[in-house]
Amino acid sequence: MDGKSVELSGITMVFDGYTAVHPTDLTIPAGEFHSILGPSGCGKTTLLRILSGFQRPSRGHVLIGGEPVDHLPANRRPTAMIFQSLALFPRMSVRDNVAFGLEARGMGRRERSQKADELLALVALEAHADKRPDQLSGGQRQRVAVARALAVEPAVLCLDEPLSALDLKLRQHMRTELRSLQKRTGVTFIYITHDQGEALTMSDRISVMNKGRIEQVGTPTEIYDAPATPFVAGFVGEQNVFAGRVTAIENGFARLDGPGGTFTGRRMVDVSVGDEAILMVRPERTGLAGPDADDGNRLSARVEGRELEGPYLNLVARDATGRRIVLHLANDGRAHPEGGPAVIGFKPEDAIVMTAARGAAEAAARVDGAGADTVGRLGARG
Amino acid sequence: MSATVGEPPVLDVGVRANSGARFFASGAGSVLIKLYLGVFFVVLFAPIVIMVAAAFNAYPSPSITIWQGFTLKWFAAIFNDARMMTGLMNSLLIACGVIVIAIPLGLAGALLLTRLESRANGFLYTVLVAPIMIPGIVLGCTSMIFWRDAFGVDAGLFTAMMAQASFIASYCLLLFMARLSRQDRSLDEAAADLGATPFFTFRRVTLPFLAPTIATASVLAFLQSIENFPTTFFAIGPDYTLVTEIASRMRFGLSPMINAIGVIFIVVTVVASLIWASSRVRAERQARAGA
Repeated sequence: MDGKSVELSGITMVFDGYTAVHPTDLTIPAGEFHSILGPSGCGKTTLLRILSGFQRPSRGHVLIGGEPVDHLPANRRPTAMIFQSLALFPRMSVRDNVAFGLEARGMGRRERSQKADELLALVALEAHADKRPDQLSGGQRQRVAVARALAVEPAVLCLDEPLSALDLKLRQHMRTELRSLQKRTGVTFIYITHDQGEALTMSDRISVMNKGRIEQVGTPTEIYDAPATPFVAGFVGEQNVFAGRVTAIENGFARLDGPGGTFTGRRMVDVSVGDEAILMVRPERTGLAGPDADDGNRLSARVEGRELEGPYLNLVARDATGRRIVLHLANDGRAHPEGGPAVIGFKPEDAIVMTAARGAAEAAARVDGAGADTVGRLGARG
Repeated sequence: MSATVGEPPVLDVGVRANSGARFFASGAGSVLIKLYLGVFFVVLFAPIVIMVAAAFNAYPSPSITIWQGFTLKWFAAIFNDARMMTGLMNSLLIACGVIVIAIPLGLAGALLLTRLESRANGFLYTVLVAPIMIPGIVLGCTSMIFWRDAFGVDAGLFTAMMAQASFIASYCLLLFMARLSRQDRSLDEAAADLGATPFFTFRRVTLPFLAPTIATASVLAFLQSIENFPTTFFAIGPDYTLVTEIASRMRFGLSPMINAIGVIFIVVTVVASLIWASSRVRAERQARAGA
């Protein structure tokens, strides 16, 4: 099996005057594990359905392996899809399910059964070939769906949130399994998810989508550490957000003056002096400053809640302006009692400064939501 | 200790609070409800019992009050009555034809209505279901005239079959629509995605899913066809079925032969449904054993 590249060029989708996908360009090289990450309703599933041929785009072209496939219906494209519901055929045995695509291609019974058994061995289900899908567990059904899709030797495998129905343990196990399967087969995987953890752990590259637009394409590290937009920064992981006005820019760093104090962070492209901007820093890069530490940015706050996760300790603090700040600390045995004072610090290179103009309110809302969630959990414990 | 642990909590508070339930639990209410049930079953079954009994009475008109001794001659008479036997054959012939026509028609309509996403759906649904609402006389007459004037086919078994199929197909359509609405549409997409043509998908995925409904719809179509009178009567011209033949004899007074036919129908229906039910029980038991 060999993967093929996928190219979306100017793909646009309009439903009854509502634009589900704004003109989108995306190039995915052959053999890449590419995730499309975004909140529900952002257009990611529409994009996948256009690629698979279930939906005709309003405008734009799809190329697979450099060949245009716009004129091909779903059953003639070199793609296979794993549906959110898995869509296993309930009245067929597991073997017949896996062999279905081969049967549709007119392969003889013996040959296709043999091929199906090989694929079932690949996903460690050879002992269950004669069962029906409803006699299998959720994780086993998942693997049948993967084997069935791989049976037709697709160049591109599309996965539409296939793990969302599984419990946490199984989900984590299946992540590893899908990833290793992708490496072994070399098929291009396009993985739709709203779960940033899935996207970050499995993907070679990630496209982050919001409101019908791809906001950033990059490796998991780029997406996490160098988000291109406030939305990406807020959607992928948690952020502590400080608002203010940019007062100085030097050496790629921007200084931000706000009600909570003056902070410095890495300057993103479109920031200039005088702009209303936001500074964001990850909870795990936000620390407690010692008396002589040189962290660059400092502020005084009060510990409001603490949650022990074993190796980690999550603290929620509030500064004089009432801003909530979340810290993920390594559990070093110190207690950090609630109500106690805390000096919080973070390095300028761990913080990013972006203009507040585009999507800032959104990012802030998300961050506040995440913060509120943490506080809620802490409250329940406390 | 074990006595207190084993005591179930008393949960009949709701029953006590409900005055209706209390009334029926009391002696007078219990008698009343038993009386009602008794009347209900008498009204339901007494005519059948009388009809069956009269079939075995030697008296030449259906009766149980004038008993002239047990006989099976009315049953023998059916088989010696050429018109009755021809009528029965015609009925069965028409019923089989109706199944062959109505099932594909109903299925095609149901597939169209469940798959087509169009503004015309509501209109199409009304048109396709309308034959159920149209009086049988109208269907019978119009079918007869349509086939005669448009195709030069004279009224007979064929026109009766087409007239029946026109409304029985609508019943089948409703059954198929109910079934199809419960199908996971992603199964079709999954099949297409795996390279299946629409026909292959229909044969391997949709048809097996519909198989139980096809069986049910066939039985329904058969029964509807066999018992139909008005549509058949007005479309069949000089030919006749068992039912139209029985009806035409009503004018000259009834013979207990009619009762004998009734008895045969009852026996066939009861035996068939018993076989059907027991096969279902067996299939379910097998499915459970397999799981």
